[in-house]
Amino acid sequence: MKFIPKKIPEDINITKRHPLSNLAHLLGMVIIIGVIGFMLLGVAANLASRWISPEMENKIGNRLFDMVAENEIKDEKRIKYLTELIYSLPKKDEQIRLPLKLHLIKSDVINAFVITGGHIFIHTGLLDAVESENELAFVLAHELGHFQARHPINAMGRSLIFMIATNILNFGTNVSVPDILSLGSNLYFLNYSRKQETAADLYALERVVNRYGHGGHTMDFFKRLEKDEAEGSLVKVSEYFSTHPLSKERIDRLMLEAEKQSWKMQGDATSVSNI
Amino acid sequence: MDIVFQISLFLFLLILGYAIGSYLEKQHYKSIQQREHETLHVPVITIGVKQAMPNAEQAQLFVGTVVISIDYFKRFSAALRNLVGGRITVYETLLDRGRREALLRMKTDAIEWGADKVMNVRIETATIGGRSGDNNSLGSIEVIAYGTGIK
Repeated sequence: MKFIPKKIPEDINITKRHPLSNLAHLLGMVIIIGVIGFMLLGVAANLASRWISPEMENKIGNRLFDMVAENEIKDEKRIKYLTELIYSLPKKDEQIRLPLKLHLIKSDVINAFVITGGHIFIHTGLLDAVESENELAFVLAHELGHFQARHPINAMGRSLIFMIATNILNFGTNVSVPDILSLGSNLYFLNYSRKQETAADLYALERVVNRYGHGGHTMDFFKRLEKDEAEGSLVKVSEYFSTHPLSKERIDRLMLEAEKQSWKMQGDATSVSNI
Repeated sequence: MDIVFQISLFLFLLILGYAIGSYLEKQHYKSIQQREHETLHVPVITIGVKQAMPNAEQAQLFVGTVVISIDYFKRFSAALRNLVGGRITVYETLLDRGRREALLRMKTDAIEWGADKVMNVRIETATIGGRSGDNNSLGSIEVIAYGTGIK
C-alpha cells in the first residue's frame, strides 16, 4: 500500500467560537448568578446579625477595640465632656443598647467612627475643626445613630459572610474570580454604607433639634468641609468623604427633611466648653 | 481609589493577555501549518501487536517536547468556566497547538536523521505548576510526542 500524503484538516479539536463572545457569555452568566447570590447573602447576614446578643456584641467590640486602639489619649476632662454631651442627645424614652465607651484618638484627620460594642472614636482633628457644640453634637449623634441602628455589627456580619463566600469560591477556582468578587462586594458595601449614613444623618438631626430646640449651626461643619472640598485646600478631610456622602447632598437632604418636619433651623450656637 | 486602580490593572492585564496571546497564537498556527505541509511526506503510524512491522535497517527513538503557557485572558475565561461548567474552549487551542508542535519537533528530528517512517507514536501531556494549592503559580502544559524512526 502506497502512502499518499493528505492535507491535515484543521478545526477537528478546536471549537469554532470567538474567545470574546465566549467570555461575554460567561461573564453574563456569572454576573447574574453573582448578583442573586449577593442579595441572598446580604439578607442572610442581616438575619444572622439579629441573633447576636448584646453581651456577645460587647465581647466582639472589646476584641476589636484591642486591635484598633492606637494613639489613644487619656484625657479624662475631654472624654467626660464628650460622654455627657452624647448621653444628653437621645430622646427620654430611648434606650441606648449598650453602655457607650468614648475614645480620643490623636490624629489630624477629621474623623469620628463607631465600632461594634459601643466604642466611639473621636479624632482630635475633629475637635479642632468644630466651632460650636451644635456641630459636635451632630457628629456624635450621627455615630450614635449608627450604633443604635446596629450598623457596625450588621456590617461585620456582612463582611464575615462575604469573606466565607469568597473563600469557598477561592477553593474551587483559580486566581481571577475571587479578585473580581471582592471588588464587587467592595462597591456593594460602599453603596450600603451610604444608605446607612443617610439614616444616621436623619437620626442625628432629629436628636440635635430635640436637644437644643433648633437645628441652627449644626450644618456649619459640613458647609465648611464642603467649601474645603470644593477648593481642594484640605487633603486631610478626604478620608471622611470616602465613606460619607458628599456634603452638598447631605445638607440638601437634611434641609429637605427639616422642612418636612417643620423643625426650626435657626438659633444661637452653643459654644464648645473645655476642649 | 484603590478599587479604581485594581479594576484598571485587571482590565489592562486582560486586554494585554488577549491582544498578545491571540497574536502569538495566530503566528504559531501559521508556522505549524507551514511546517506540517513541509513534513507531510513522512508518514507517522501506529501498528498493532499482531501486525507485521515494516522491514528496517536502522531504528531510533525520537522525542519532541513543548511547553506552552496560558495567558491572563485564557486563565480568566477558564476560571469563569470553572464556576458554571462546560467546554473550556480557550484551552482547546492551547492543547491542539501543543500536540501538533510536539509531533512536528519529533518528526523534524527524525527527518533530519533520514527516517522514511515514524512508527508507534505516543503523545503524553503533563501540567507544570497551577492548581497545586498555589493560586498564583503559572499554569502551563508540557506535551511530549515520541516514536521510533526507521530507515
